[in-house]
Amino acid sequence: MSGRRVRAITRRLLQGFRRDRRTVALLFVAPIVILGLLGYLMRGSSNVPNVGIASQDSGPLGALVASSLKSSSHIHAVDINASDGDAKLKDGSIVAYILFPADFTRQAQSGSVAPDVHLEGSQPGEDSPVLQALQESMISLASQVAGRSVNFQPRVHHLYGGRNYDTLDYFGAAFVGLVVFFLVFVITIVSFLNERSQGTLERLMASPLRRGEIVLGYMLGFTVLALIQSAEVLVFALAVLKIHNQGNVLLIFGMEALMAIAAVNLGIFLSMFARSEFQAVQFIPLVVVPQVLLSGIIFPVSIEPTALQWLSDILPLTYAVNGMRDIMVKGADLTSSGLQLDAAVVAGFCILLIVAGTATLRRRLA
Amino acid sequence: MNDAYAVDVEEVFKSFGSFKALNGVTLRVRKGEIYGLLGPNGAGKTTLIRLICGLVEAHGGTVTVLGRRMPDIAVLRHIGYMTQQAALYPALSVEENVRFFAAINGAEDGVREALGLVQLWERRGSVVSTLSGGMRQRCSLACALVHRPELLLLDEPTVGIDPQLRVQFWDYFRRMAADGTTLVVSSHVMDEADRCQRLGLIQYGRLLAEGSPADIRAQGGSQNLEEAFLALAGRRES
Repeated sequence: MSGRRVRAITRRLLQGFRRDRRTVALLFVAPIVILGLLGYLMRGSSNVPNVGIASQDSGPLGALVASSLKSSSHIHAVDINASDGDAKLKDGSIVAYILFPADFTRQAQSGSVAPDVHLEGSQPGEDSPVLQALQESMISLASQVAGRSVNFQPRVHHLYGGRNYDTLDYFGAAFVGLVVFFLVFVITIVSFLNERSQGTLERLMASPLRRGEIVLGYMLGFTVLALIQSAEVLVFALAVLKIHNQGNVLLIFGMEALMAIAAVNLGIFLSMFARSEFQAVQFIPLVVVPQVLLSGIIFPVSIEPTALQWLSDILPLTYAVNGMRDIMVKGADLTSSGLQLDAAVVAGFCILLIVAGTATLRRRLA
Repeated sequence: MNDAYAVDVEEVFKSFGSFKALNGVTLRVRKGEIYGLLGPNGAGKTTLIRLICGLVEAHGGTVTVLGRRMPDIAVLRHIGYMTQQAALYPALSVEENVRFFAAINGAEDGVREALGLVQLWERRGSVVSTLSGGMRQRCSLACALVHRPELLLLDEPTVGIDPQLRVQFWDYFRRMAADGTTLVVSSHVMDEADRCQRLGLIQYGRLLAEGSPADIRAQGGSQNLEEAFLALAGRRES
């Protein structure tokens, strides 16, 4: 073992990085961006979910708990009519509503209260602040009013999902799409770069092929692969993992296909900005990680800090994930305006990226 | 523009940043001739070839190819371009590569003839990544000529190949020229220059001299082409 030879290798490595400023920047900037984003997401001035309160209590407890909930930092409580609750859950203006029955105060006096908690249910991250806020308000007030210790047993109802659903059911819908999006993106960006680095792209550009034909040909080729992969992922998710699905399998496949086409075109477009496969791989943490954090897969978009919500609203994955959940958890079909919007936005991104990829093709070749 | 010319380059300038790759080059290639573009590495040969097939745009001057001002995508159907590096798809077979370039030029019927010409018909099933460097060059040439182009641009086609194969390549080139194809061949190897009908000597992005090998010898005042080139280069510098 020669120290001098080992030093030569170490020095050679660091010298190479000195000239590849982009890699150095990524090495030091990417962790700050990703961790900063995560920190802001989890500790930033988070928005709290809107929760409807419907008190039918003839005694004082319902009103007291309602006013306590309105001062809770976990939720933003608003008064609603019990009859409007389900409609408001469906249109997304509230994530839950709590119903205090007419005999609510009497229940407390007899030692056990059971308010009805109606949850929208498609995003598990939104449920816990609701139950936590209710529990905190109930514990002290119920025993004060009843003058004795009170057993608190909320009756939880789910509009979507429910007790049969486990974590995988909620995340599975989003991950089915994400897996396809991520893998297709990586394969496309690397193969399009190969075309450039092996010199064949130069040959193609000196042929009668038009730029749009190259991009479209690539898109179709990768889409064929991506569709086969989507089918495989879908069959595995539904048949082997037995992820709950309320929707039409063909619709899920269609949404996956749209995500795959978006990923193909994102890969082609971004390959214009990389000179080597090494630089292409660097796009993964910058492009994929923020989308995973901000698309609502893990943290619901509705409780993100407002600035991050704006960012979420321009990311294609946000709409794709939302669409997948709408289909699989809520059983939405094409008559649902939410799903129409999600599909339209993802399709719009595909078109935007095809145009952008075609426009930048010549620039980097010359 | 005279119809006798396949390529007409008129006072062309091209810079990359502050580097002047082409600094007012004028040259004409007659139809059906083998035109040698000679010069040291970095002289501007590749830039000139890329300009002729429209891959880069000139900052000044005009490039006319087969009667059309470049860049013009319609002309590209009639141009074959062999890049310096054997630009092929390594995971495809020889035939699949040639067939692909035939397809994008709408000339699938030329595959067998092209592979025959470069003597790769027997090896058509071999995957390119398993081939020797010389075979890859031959496959690359087949891809460039599969659509029977009127103008064939060959950027240092014989770099890195053995003398035997080099002789074969020049044999292909002569046969194509005899069939009416115009060839522009760049090289920095002087013994290849004698095989061309006309030469353009390029250095520092300028055309130093143009003419038949005999003309160049006369202009440089030497029987040896290499010495004539050095004399012409020295004259321009002084």
